[in-house]
Amino acid sequence: MTNSQVALLILLFPAAGAILLAGRGWRLPRIVTRIVGPGVVWASFLATLYLFANSVSGDFTYWTWIKSGSFDVPFNLLVDNLSIFMCLVITGVGGLIVTYAVGYMDKEDGPSYARFFTYMDVFVFSMLLLVLAGNFIFLIIGWALVGLSSYFLIGFWYHRRSAVLAARKAFVMNVVGDVGMILGAFALFVTYHSATYAGVFSQLQPRICGHGGPCPQATDTNSLELAAFLLLVGAVAKSAQLPLHTWLPDAMEGPTPVSALIHAATMVTAGVYLVGRMHPIYDLAVYAHGAVAIIGAVTALFAATIAIVQTDIKRVLAYSTMSQIGYMFLAVGIGAYTAGFFHLLSHAFFKALLFMAAGNVIHAMNDEQDMRKYGGLFRQLPRTSWSFLIGSLSLVGVIPFVGFFSKEQILGAAFSKPDASLALAVWAFGFITALVTGFYTGRMWWMSFAGKPSPDRPVEHPHEAPQVMLVPVVILAVLATIGGFIQTRALGFGPHLVDDFLKSAVGAQAWEGGASEVIATFVTMLLAVVLFLAAYRIYIQHAWKPWTAVVPWAQRVLERKYYFDELYDAVFVRTMDGLARVGLRYVEEPVIEGILTGTGELAEAGAHNLGLTQTGYFRNYVLVFVAGAVVVTLLILARVSS
Amino acid sequence: MSGFDAGGSQLDTSWFLLLAAVLFILGTIGVLIRRNPLVILICIELMLNAANLTLVAFSRQLQNLDGQLFALMSMTVAAAEAVVGLAILVDIFRHRDAEDIDDLSELKG
Repeated sequence: MTNSQVALLILLFPAAGAILLAGRGWRLPRIVTRIVGPGVVWASFLATLYLFANSVSGDFTYWTWIKSGSFDVPFNLLVDNLSIFMCLVITGVGGLIVTYAVGYMDKEDGPSYARFFTYMDVFVFSMLLLVLAGNFIFLIIGWALVGLSSYFLIGFWYHRRSAVLAARKAFVMNVVGDVGMILGAFALFVTYHSATYAGVFSQLQPRICGHGGPCPQATDTNSLELAAFLLLVGAVAKSAQLPLHTWLPDAMEGPTPVSALIHAATMVTAGVYLVGRMHPIYDLAVYAHGAVAIIGAVTALFAATIAIVQTDIKRVLAYSTMSQIGYMFLAVGIGAYTAGFFHLLSHAFFKALLFMAAGNVIHAMNDEQDMRKYGGLFRQLPRTSWSFLIGSLSLVGVIPFVGFFSKEQILGAAFSKPDASLALAVWAFGFITALVTGFYTGRMWWMSFAGKPSPDRPVEHPHEAPQVMLVPVVILAVLATIGGFIQTRALGFGPHLVDDFLKSAVGAQAWEGGASEVIATFVTMLLAVVLFLAAYRIYIQHAWKPWTAVVPWAQRVLERKYYFDELYDAVFVRTMDGLARVGLRYVEEPVIEGILTGTGELAEAGAHNLGLTQTGYFRNYVLVFVAGAVVVTLLILARVSS
Repeated sequence: MSGFDAGGSQLDTSWFLLLAAVLFILGTIGVLIRRNPLVILICIELMLNAANLTLVAFSRQLQNLDGQLFALMSMTVAAAEAVVGLAILVDIFRHRDAEDIDDLSELKG
């Protein structure tokens, strides 16, 4: 079997699983769904491993999809180290999560159970298509399909009104991004007349000539900036960055495995992948590239502050996801692509771990998600608690957990980037975010697992989840613990396997950190840990006054999530409502209804007037008849005589 | 074959046509101004027979029997029509005393 066929197989496994489950799943016995649902993801994982082990790389063209004049879209898959890396994350972490879902969704009845795994497999297929696509058309198809499957899965419990509303919100926000993506692809096509990555990237003109000055022949700057900004709209919407972020917290209405897979580990990182994949463009479009870093830095801090006041455990994790993806945007925005992707990998480990551990807790608590009603779970759910603690420490960035190495590598890269005030500014944001992260993570962990059980707790004696839900959590906990040692660049020495692997696809980081970077790293970690512990003093021991008592207005602002929902409601929803009302009043009612009812009224009036001729008097009819006969006679006579 | 004689002299066809026209106009006026359904039927018969008279007159002038045959045919149809019309009238009279045809206007829109 050739390498190109293996690459195609990666896509075909989940597609086949989805088709089987969609067509027959509700009639087949449940055991088939149990095996097929996660099985196809693992099959894809094996195919990806094969490509990884053989260091396959290439742009495989399978057939010409559209050919019309100079417009030529092949169906090609771009297999390089970046797409293999993404596929490993998607199928590896995805496989663990789908396996976990076998246990988590067990309460569902047969058809719903099959429907869930159909959607999951559709999602995995779409996401793989997104990262493997070798041209913009298939990128957009994958991009839209992941939005669609996300919509399906958020609204999985369609009888819950809030779930349906959240699904709709996510879909609308994602479509805003899709439109940006499509326009961006158009902009590139107009300038470079090519729909494939290879065709576009090979034509990019360098901006820096040999002696370091700008090249005079660079004429495509404006169109590149435009395309880069438009693509960024898509990335921002998919990755829930400011200002298109409001859908992600609501997306937590979906089942927890969905939150883990789509809204933490894979789909929301598609924006990071996009910027990485388009790095030849972003390297040249400096303003758009700067915007990526700024959006990431601001979102990281913004979301972390909101996470402080959330009481729903999944919402804390959702805001934390936004915040961590902000870090990745920050990294790719300053040109530290490999650091961004390392954080993507490590975030997939520890955030999937956190979500699945949270799912175990929610499962044990009869679907209660309010942390204030937990408390004291540490002794009762030891394995889940330990896993959650590992995930939390990884999120905070404590050595030796994986989050420490990836986050600190990003901060280090930003801190030490030479001659870049922007990088230093985003480092400041990232630094503060790291501290806030320590605080809200501490609050979440202590509130849920430490202290005394809350009096409102729905279950007095919870028990641990079944094996099928525990094993993936434990595997991820192990990965989150030791995974960091594949790349210890944050310490200034040791291996850097991820950097080496991705170098060929996204380029090596152009600068090296110094000793100050390592000092900054440990200062950040120490302060974050102090804040993690401070949360214990505040929320469990109640030794210190909570900060909310000092600044009550800040609590209010954060609880309202900086009034973004209200702002969008006022600006977009109300405006649209108003426009619709104006349209109803001045267009629909007078014009359209006027034309329609006018036609009816005209016919009615005509009928009435014609009806007047039907007098019912016999002689009137006869008179008309005779008159007609006379006229005809006269006509004939005139004809004959002439 | 010669036409039939009227007292040995042949009357000019135009007289027959004139008579037919007078009969037809009388019939028409009758249909228009009379209100009794029975009289209207009689007037219609009058118009029909005026037409028959023209047919016969031309038949005589042209020495061709087709016109006479056609007149016979027309009388047959008139008889059939009179049967239907009278039957309807009889039925109407059974239900009410319709002296004025304008009273029979239920089908007016």
